[in-house]
Amino acid sequence: MPTSAADEGGILLAGIARGREQDMGEFYRRYHGRIYAFLLRRLRNAADAAEVANEVMLEVWRGAARFEARARPLTWVLGIAQHKAVDRMRREQHFAAEELDTEDLADESAGAVDLVARVQDATLLRRCLERLSDAHRAVVHLAFFEDLGYGEIAAILDCPEGTVKTRMFHAKQGLKRCLGRLLGLDAEGGAR
Amino acid sequence: MSELAHPDELLPWYVNHTLPAAERQAVEAHLRGCERCSAEIGFLEALRMQVKQATGEHPPDRVGLQRLMREVRAAPTRRERPWLRPALAAAVAAVVVQAALIGWLWTRQPPIEPLGGPWSGGVVLQVRFAPAASEARIRALLQASDATIIDGPGALGVYRLRLRDLRPGDRRAVAKALAELRAARGVVVQAEAE
Repeated sequence: MPTSAADEGGILLAGIARGREQDMGEFYRRYHGRIYAFLLRRLRNAADAAEVANEVMLEVWRGAARFEARARPLTWVLGIAQHKAVDRMRREQHFAAEELDTEDLADESAGAVDLVARVQDATLLRRCLERLSDAHRAVVHLAFFEDLGYGEIAAILDCPEGTVKTRMFHAKQGLKRCLGRLLGLDAEGGAR
Repeated sequence: MSELAHPDELLPWYVNHTLPAAERQAVEAHLRGCERCSAEIGFLEALRMQVKQATGEHPPDRVGLQRLMREVRAAPTRRERPWLRPALAAAVAAVVVQAALIGWLWTRQPPIEPLGGPWSGGVVLQVRFAPAASEARIRALLQASDATIIDGPGALGVYRLRLRDLRPGDRRAVAKALAELRAARGVVVQAEAE
């Protein structure tokens, strides 16, 4: 009977808990890229993300016995990554250089078709994602890169489900505003 | 359920297909009569696609893995857990029984050639054999490839093979060896370079 990726991840964690280095290597090959992508989105620095990803993997080696089969391995390991990222940000007093103003909500001036066109501009979107707060960026990444449900995201970020929904709402509105503003600036620049 | 007020909070999870069935059905009912939310879905789907593209793939970092394994080997031994004691006693008993059985079998079997060693040099590959592959076919394949099993099976049935005559930098030779292993249908289901 075929096994799911989650089942296989659980089997690997059981092997790691027994000290099997080969299973640790396989776990690394399967999950490191996703852990690194999450950390890079949070820390916005490739060297920091690689360093913390290594710490996460060491924690997996030391703590695999704590994994409970009712959770998905990805959720569990991203939860570890989340804690490590928060520790790193606290230690380095990391704050977003410029966070989007999400108090003003929807950018109602932009029509729906405009917004779809704007979000498809990868450069503009990347700039706007960079300007989101750490917490908002994490929710967007987990929902749209990892395709996780709000319950799993709440477990990873260690917050209530309502908070996840609220952060996503504000992140989305902030992105809309940012896309609208940048498009306006770029249009002006292009007209010169 | 179509009387939901605009379900803005649920739409991102409708788009990534993770909503529980009841909420998904409520959103679908709402979307049938709401142009505003349908347009919002279009925005969120475009956003999801762009986030995936912008994030991209991050293939496993071989240097990072080597560093991790060095640190893993240097990590302190984990503490013994109380429930391990009876399990350990049972395992020791099983080993004693197996040793007696092996000793008895040893007198009935032709001698096994000692394995070569030390395992240094060459190229290491990871291979998963077909569950139905016989020992004879696996042995024949290993001999034809001049390969030696140096580790495994892992929890997922992966073995590590060393091909002593290959140099790690000789990509063409490694690719050829992998192609030969993968071509052994019915014996190998997966073969990758380490």
